Amino acid sequence: MLTIENLHATVDGKEILKGLNLTVPEGEVHAVMGPNGSGKSTLAHVLAGRPGYAITAGTVRFKGRDLLALSPEERAREGLFLGFQYPVEIPGVNNVYLLKAAVNAARKHRGLAEVDAFEFLTLVRDKMRLMRMDESMLSRGVNEGFSGGEKKRNEILQMLVLEPSLAVLDETDSGLDIDALKVVASGVNTLRAPNRSLVLVTHYQRLLEHIVPDRVHVLVNGRIVRSGDRTLALELERRGYDWLIGEAA
Amino acid sequence: MSTAVLTRLKEEYGAARAALPGSVIDAHRRSEAIETLCAQGLPTGREENWRYTNLRVLERARFTPAQASAEVLPTLPEPLTGFARYVFVAGRLRSLATAPHGVTVRSLLSGGPADGAWRIASELPEARLALLNEAFATDAACIEARPEADHAGIELVFLAAAGADSGASYPRVRLALGSGARLTVVERHIGVGEASSLVNSAVRVELGPNAHLTHYRLQQCAARTAWFDTLTAELAADARYDLLAVGTGALASRSTVHARLTGRAAQLTLSAAALGAAQQSQDMYALSEHLAARTSTVQTFRGIASDRSRVAFNGKIAVRAQAAGTDSRQSLRGLLAGAQAEIDLRPQLEIYTDEVRCSHGATAGKLDENMLFYLLSRGIAPELAQHLLKWAFLEDVVAKIELPQLRRQIEHGLAGQMSEAVALKELL
Repeated sequence: MLTIENLHATVDGKEILKGLNLTVPEGEVHAVMGPNGSGKSTLAHVLAGRPGYAITAGTVRFKGRDLLALSPEERAREGLFLGFQYPVEIPGVNNVYLLKAAVNAARKHRGLAEVDAFEFLTLVRDKMRLMRMDESMLSRGVNEGFSGGEKKRNEILQMLVLEPSLAVLDETDSGLDIDALKVVASGVNTLRAPNRSLVLVTHYQRLLEHIVPDRVHVLVNGRIVRSGDRTLALELERRGYDWLIGEAA
Repeated sequence: MSTAVLTRLKEEYGAARAALPGSVIDAHRRSEAIETLCAQGLPTGREENWRYTNLRVLERARFTPAQASAEVLPTLPEPLTGFARYVFVAGRLRSLATAPHGVTVRSLLSGGPADGAWRIASELPEARLALLNEAFATDAACIEARPEADHAGIELVFLAAAGADSGASYPRVRLALGSGARLTVVERHIGVGEASSLVNSAVRVELGPNAHLTHYRLQQCAARTAWFDTLTAELAADARYDLLAVGTGALASRSTVHARLTGRAAQLTLSAAALGAAQQSQDMYALSEHLAARTSTVQTFRGIASDRSRVAFNGKIAVRAQAAGTDSRQSLRGLLAGAQAEIDLRPQLEIYTDEVRCSHGATAGKLDENMLFYLLSRGIAPELAQHLLKWAFLEDVVAKIELPQLRRQIEHGLAGQMSEAVALKELL
């Protein structure tokens, strides 16, 4: 699904990713953990194609294609989804309107007709129930006046509606209380499928209690320094990151 | 402004005067108007409140009124349900409707009692182009709402056909609401034709005690039109004036609004949106003069300048000594959507009393990069994403349009090439 080789990326001339390697096979859930400033969010943004990052070396292949050659919107239409750590408020563009435009952009890309308005609304309402979101949020501006938790749920709602082949969730657990975390996690878990992969970028282990990863990678100073199964996350919880920072240096 | 233009203006007036209808404005007042205007001179870019107006078009303008020819009318916008529609071609009333209960609509050209005493120009120098209208007006729409008028609707369509003669057109309107009357007026300025031409409109609003006027003004003139507009308003005690202006058309557009809140607790809301593209200039000067206690003004402006266009809004709130307890709010925002575009926002406050609450904010900037990336990351095409964000930017004004049918029409007008976004919006 996703193969990253020797990825180097800089922001304002400062190198953040320094030869990152990561492979996420189809159907698997991988967690990327790491201390603050290790490059986790940069990785997520580089994958989604955010402007402002310079890729100085390396390759990223997504479903066999050169991901870095695609524009952000093409990546999305190809089935890549980024769940934002800080979802943006866009007053005046309503939620359902964005969802529909997004779904139709992907459908058009695949040569399909636009989604039927009624079926679409039914689908969205189902997913909203799953995310325990109030239906009134549909007609509100994108994330407008949403609490931190509501914004994160809205990200997952978008993901559920768009059904990406690869979702990269950037610190989706940050700012969530335990109930919201469970709702978000159960939403994510419904999307687990043999033809879909997930990358959970997170600082803490607690999300992984609810979304159990197949692999855990530790990102330190712009490189994956260790990979393992879910017990690695537990070890990190116990020992912190310092011992790995020491090893990476 | 060169004297050559004034000379030509006088010559054109001299040649046209004999044919100008005395029932609309008598000959003496017309001559007075032209003399006063020539004495004051046409506006120049050296005047602070005309700096952002494209005044070159005035130099080239032909002032002689256009003939009301039988040229093909463009497709008029779909009539608004429940509204009586009056169509003016080249400033002259073309089609009559049945006025709603409690409302009288008269064309001064088609006879009836003369009523030329009202004036639109104020002592304000910014309002002096209303004198041009007074000199050349070919007709005037007199709309009076009596106290029993209750949520009546009037639609005025001013059509300027820029034909071969490229004459000017002079829409002229008086809206007078009696005590407690309620009226909604939709005023559209539309145009056809490729020739450059001048539209010089002048509107007088008089609101009696506790009257409520909702006034939508849409400027959708043809691409080479110069639209110079003056509106003066007087609000008695407890009167409420909701004015919403949307400008998308014309090559050069300038609207001057001078509202005098003379009665206690009179309320004005002015909401304006302007879109500039190509070489357009859209300029508005709005003065809200508070002359009585507990009066209020809410000014909202949203403007988008694309390509090489210029969009300007100059909003002034003047609180006189007798206007204690005034409450005014100004929110002016401009969006730069072109590397060579220009936005000029000027909030001004002039306060001569204590005990007032006045707030203002003005910001001009580009499309928010974070918002843009968020939309792109959802697969939205860059063009559509930009349209959506521009759309959202105008929402503060568009949301104030209370008539769904009109709102849809205005959204379509604003959309232009944003048609994809509109289609989506309508589906939901």
